[in-house]
Amino acid sequence: MPPVINQELCTGCGTCADICPMNVFEQDPPRTAPRIVYGEECWHCNACVLDCPKKAVTLRIPLNYMLLHVDASQFKE
Amino acid sequence: MMTLKHVLETDVLVVGGGIGGLCAAISAAQGGARVTVLEKANSRRSGSGATGNDHFTCYYPRAHGNDIGVILKELLDSMLGLCHDTSLSVRFLERSIGIADKWHEWGINMKPFGDDYIFMGHAFPNRPRIFLKYDGHNQKQALTAQAKKAGAKILNHHPVLDLLRNADGITGALALDMSEREPSYVVVRAKKVILATGAASRLYPPAGTPGWLFNTAFCPSCTGAAQAQGWRIGAKLVNMELPNRHAGPKYFSRAGKSTWIGVYRYPNGRLLGPFVTRATREVGDITCDVWNSAYTDVVMNGTGPAYIDCSGTSPDDMKFMRAGMISEGLGALLDHMDDKGIDPSRHGVEFMQYEPHLIGRGLEIDINGETSIPGLYAAGDMVGNFRSDISGAAVWGWMEGEHAAANLGAGAFDEAEKSDRAKERMAWYNTFMTRPSGAHWKEAALGLQQIMGDYAAAGPYRVRSETLLDAGLKYLGDLRRDAEASVRAANAHELLRTVEAFELMDNGEAIMHAARERRESRGMHLRSDYTFTNPLLNDKFLTVRRENGRVVTEWRPRRSA
Repeated sequence: MPPVINQELCTGCGTCADICPMNVFEQDPPRTAPRIVYGEECWHCNACVLDCPKKAVTLRIPLNYMLLHVDASQFKE
Repeated sequence: MMTLKHVLETDVLVVGGGIGGLCAAISAAQGGARVTVLEKANSRRSGSGATGNDHFTCYYPRAHGNDIGVILKELLDSMLGLCHDTSLSVRFLERSIGIADKWHEWGINMKPFGDDYIFMGHAFPNRPRIFLKYDGHNQKQALTAQAKKAGAKILNHHPVLDLLRNADGITGALALDMSEREPSYVVVRAKKVILATGAASRLYPPAGTPGWLFNTAFCPSCTGAAQAQGWRIGAKLVNMELPNRHAGPKYFSRAGKSTWIGVYRYPNGRLLGPFVTRATREVGDITCDVWNSAYTDVVMNGTGPAYIDCSGTSPDDMKFMRAGMISEGLGALLDHMDDKGIDPSRHGVEFMQYEPHLIGRGLEIDINGETSIPGLYAAGDMVGNFRSDISGAAVWGWMEGEHAAANLGAGAFDEAEKSDRAKERMAWYNTFMTRPSGAHWKEAALGLQQIMGDYAAAGPYRVRSETLLDAGLKYLGDLRRDAEASVRAANAHELLRTVEAFELMDNGEAIMHAARERRESRGMHLRSDYTFTNPLLNDKFLTVRRENGRVVTEWRPRRSA
């Protein structure tokens, strides 16, 4: 579930846990990589992705958030 | 068991560190007041403006001319305009450009295209444009920095649970301190309280992805806290029964549809609306602001689905759109499209109408932004007699901070923490934390959504009636009783979600009482037992409040400028 933390890049600064509007993360103890405890409560606002100083966070968008789309050429027929 | 750990004293308490709350904090602090902001998450990234915005409604005489009435008409005709006391709209417009100036000074780029303000988007062809296009990607950080610079104290991870009052008016608030590993209570004594908690998401089952509680257009952490907390202490709510539904990409709920530069089409390419045949950055397709139910209608009648088609948009405007999406805070959507190879210049993206939520429905304010409770103000999405999203929050927050700071009075602080109400509420919240086992908060939250979806449904195609609403109120009472008796919160996070579920129940209750009283159909409030729109109610607003344990509904005239 989103977000995903790259453990190799994460320095445990805790920024993602601090700024997440949904409190998706928990960090325990300090300076360790936060854990994603409430991933299903993620709003996909991207705050953690944007604010991580090491660019260690990505979002995995759930399969069913599927952005339905078609080839626009069908509108011209 | 959680205990009361701190009692703080502040002249002005701001509840919620979103756009409205931070602007209120800055102006109140600059006005000489001691200011404390209690924020549920972190004010640098909280609320519906968390990662950006790109349209700021305002009146700029240099671009619009000296007749404010022309711009007032555009505002009232826009998707924002249904529930305005126009006296508030005019006051907002008069002050709006001054706030844009301040934002620009504070490092939010309000002039990303040159030396002057540019207005575009959400407009009818050949009519004035009222939306200042800006780059708000850093708006929350910039406002947080200004609030601190002005001397406001921001306590992050401190959601307010309840307001405290005496016979004369507001006295403070009870909050939960979640910033430490062991949660505790904080009571803040205050002379003035400014509520700025944002929209109410999560009231209804998500229209696209049922069961996925947090897939919402506006921030799902915004759960109608101000409406609920005001309702509990007798504040008047207004227009609660008039549903609104946002729209956007199907299955990935997110506000910001007007940042897309494209036209809406049926699958065979026919245009949905009459306004434009080709969209530009200046004038997009406003069809779905006007025909709000379009995406639902075309699915229900089988002619759909409806797509936004940006394939005819110029390459320059497509670049502009992408930059706009970053300003608007749609980075996750962009990343996801890139990841999946979805390119709006080659693909039509299906749009849908999202579930009802509350924005621009809620606390009634007067010309100073004060609610019906003396000393209690409200700014932003949770106000019921005015709506202008980001700029509305910013401008009203600013004006209310000024007013609060200038009217503090010389009286002593009330010892709010010693009130029976504070003690009762602390004991009540503790029951969820001390119960050894019980129901999960999600059961209460889903129960509320089920009831709202079935008994207080919003149109199109779904009706309300007296019998349905009466049943809904009865079932909601049952749910509330059972939830109070059985929910267990294992930690502060679960307690917060539990608190939100009860806030949403309060909102639901107010909606159903008001919906019952509005004996007509209007907008998406469709009554099967009153199928017509009653012209006698055109310029009337319905208020709802609690008084001595009873619910009181009252009609009043719309306040004109």
